[in-house]
Amino acid sequence: MSDRFEHLEDPVVGERVQLGETSKGLKIRVAPTDRFREMSAMITFRYGSTDLGFDVAGSRHSSPEGVAHYLEHKLFEDDELHVFERFGQRGAQVNAMTGFGRTTYYFNATTSLEENLQDLLHLVSNAHLTDENVEKERGIIAQELRMYEDSPEYRGFFDLLRCFYREHPVRNPVGGTVESIQGIDVAELTACYDAYYRCGNAALAVAGPVDSDAVFELAEACALRAGEAPVSRCPEDLGPVQATSHERAMEIARPRVLLGFKERSLVEDVSARVTRDLVTRIWLDHVFGAASDVREELHRKGLVDDSLSASYTGDRAFGFAVLACESDEPDRAVDALRGALKAPCTIEESDLERVRRKMLGRYVRTFESVQPVAMGHGDEALEGLAPFGAVERMRSVTVDDVRARHAELCRDDSFASVVVRAD
Amino acid sequence: MVGPTLRFMDGFAGFRTTHIAGIPVLWRADRRFKTFRVALYARRTHDERAAARSMLPSLLLQGTERDHNRPALARRMHDLYGAAVHPMSSKVGESHLLCFALDSVSGRCLPDRPDQLGDGLGLLADLLARPRLDGDGFPSDVFDLERAQTLNMIRTLADDKGSYAMERAIACACEGEPMAIPEHGGLEAVEKLGRADPEVARRDFLTHGAMWAVAMGDLPDESELEAKISAFLAELPERDEQPVAPAVVVPERDATRTRETTDLRQSKLVMVFRAPKQTDGQERVGRNLFVSMFGGGAHSRLFQEVREKRSLAYYASAGLDRHKDFVLVQVGLDRDSIEAAETEILNQLAALQRGEFEDRELDTARSMMLSSLRTVDDSIGQRVRFTTEQWMQQNDRSPEDVSRLCAAATKDHAVAGGAGIWLDHSYVLTTARETAHGETAHGEGS
Repeated sequence: MSDRFEHLEDPVVGERVQLGETSKGLKIRVAPTDRFREMSAMITFRYGSTDLGFDVAGSRHSSPEGVAHYLEHKLFEDDELHVFERFGQRGAQVNAMTGFGRTTYYFNATTSLEENLQDLLHLVSNAHLTDENVEKERGIIAQELRMYEDSPEYRGFFDLLRCFYREHPVRNPVGGTVESIQGIDVAELTACYDAYYRCGNAALAVAGPVDSDAVFELAEACALRAGEAPVSRCPEDLGPVQATSHERAMEIARPRVLLGFKERSLVEDVSARVTRDLVTRIWLDHVFGAASDVREELHRKGLVDDSLSASYTGDRAFGFAVLACESDEPDRAVDALRGALKAPCTIEESDLERVRRKMLGRYVRTFESVQPVAMGHGDEALEGLAPFGAVERMRSVTVDDVRARHAELCRDDSFASVVVRAD
Repeated sequence: MVGPTLRFMDGFAGFRTTHIAGIPVLWRADRRFKTFRVALYARRTHDERAAARSMLPSLLLQGTERDHNRPALARRMHDLYGAAVHPMSSKVGESHLLCFALDSVSGRCLPDRPDQLGDGLGLLADLLARPRLDGDGFPSDVFDLERAQTLNMIRTLADDKGSYAMERAIACACEGEPMAIPEHGGLEAVEKLGRADPEVARRDFLTHGAMWAVAMGDLPDESELEAKISAFLAELPERDEQPVAPAVVVPERDATRTRETTDLRQSKLVMVFRAPKQTDGQERVGRNLFVSMFGGGAHSRLFQEVREKRSLAYYASAGLDRHKDFVLVQVGLDRDSIEAAETEILNQLAALQRGEFEDRELDTARSMMLSSLRTVDDSIGQRVRFTTEQWMQQNDRSPEDVSRLCAAATKDHAVAGGAGIWLDHSYVLTTARETAHGETAHGEGS
């Protein structure tokens, strides 16, 4: 058993994880799951679409929208053989994703841990940026953005965030816009890369049949720079929603409805924030999940159909609950869903116990494939959250917690709705 | 006609096999997992009854004789630690497949070791054998609501431009063939349905469908498993299985083209290629490798040449439909690049068919395929899907068997796999004008 790691075991399902940190401060988690052939490795940076400003050498650097996503595209290029081809020759699939507050690079493979991980770490440790390759990527990214813009759900979602937030950058599409990416060049990408692609701002998680010492040595040897990232400067924007409603017209078959509440306060402590996320999801599931009589009644009245979804997104600097559905009578649907959101929370202990059982089943399933295991550990490591706390967190939630959460979130001046009408 | 049963020797595709109540049952106990899946499949020839068949899953989830509505059913699933019991309808080539699956955490991993398999199969039996009916059909209020929802779902498909383009491309290419009928049957067919039609379809599937069951994961010992699956299958009506018709084969003809317009920002190009039927295992692997080199991922010609080098598209990929012997190319691109992309795609296909590819391209395709086959056993869902595909194609090969064929495949096999692939139809969905979206905002800050 390697002494480079702290070894922990889940008391519920017996899964194991090893926690370590390189000399340059890169946090590592390895979940050695020998029962699988597949391995999954991902390195995550606390850098996403909302990180549009930071202080450097005494002055403020401001970025155009979409720079984190642009940088993610560009890191998949180096001066040697094409990246995808190199991974492909080893039968590995490599990809990346950018979110509001994270950029993650990962591969899945069945062999060649050393070569694949070395390549993945090399990708994020070296930005191969030239005027020519940055310009070439602009066209590809523009096509990607146009593809998203054909989606009424995507357009409606960001319309809703623009209602919630006056100035917080979460209101911007993750990839930016075709217009905003015109202002991104080598200097801009280099500045952001230098600021955020650092060991102290990243976590590496690997799950599968892997040698944890080999992972550690590769991570130790990687050229990713030491140090912390600068604090991202963005407005707090915790006030009332900036617009209570918005309408958009698109050539679509059926109108779309999106509505919800924004958070009006932040939770610094990560454990408390994760618990808040959990309690919010329990409340949404109680009101809008498959077992809900409220949802069934709305369905029977023809106000919503099976397209109805409810979700919650929580982060250090923002949070929001969103309902979305299709409807031929969008105004009636908005009224009905708002009424359901604001109605007194009627959850009982028996409901909560049923949700606990469902969540326990879901938790066990998490360990049935390596990618969610790696992703979960990567997120926790980046946030500094202890592993295997989910079941205890679920057990600790009370009916009063859920009712209080409902009251806290569902304020009139936190509410907004969007209708995407058929043109 | 495709026969309903296969030879039974040491099992099938790495699964143990038996017959229970005349239905082939394939199972594979695997204690690496903490969950299990049991799935019952019924398959019929795809025809004008598609609309009634495709409505079945949503109607069955509206309640059973015991659990009268959806919340009651959902609560029963939650009590089973979030077990998922889901009927699914899909079009497989020119057949219609109905699947009733139970996915659950194993009782051995839960407090008090509940009988998840027995209780879950009880719920599954309620769902497929004892739906909530009113006389000879589903209750009028339930049926009317679900039919309206299905009609809306069909209309809304047009809002997902990629899926819509694919459906239209197949409809245009396969006019007059059963393949042209969409899985949902089409708007007109759904509008004409009566509340008894889906119930007729349910009985038809359970009585006449080519049927088999697959179980995998943390299962109990053989005798207990057999007893529980026997009790479950005893719920089915008396069987009179009918064969599934083979897919229509079309002789090579000149390619045709359809161009439609709507309001969109990224145009879609779908190219429908047809390929000769294959039966030999090595030939089949050769085609897999060929299609992988052509458009099977970031290593492929479509990605590398069409997207990366020439920047003609945001995405461009090719997939193989074994049940209809189609190679389907899907491209998302700017309106101005459509002609150039189409020409380049045909050039790349022709070059590969002439054997103009490097060893490393074949090696990469092989590595990707081998890696994918190695991971099939890591997932219950993947392995059950793999085995079901093998069963429907009467191809008794495990992932290890296919891996051996893949490792042995030569350049000649790959070239042979691409031989005879021909373009039947190109479908383009594009915009006729510059987009102008109207927006209005209301509220205190607007």
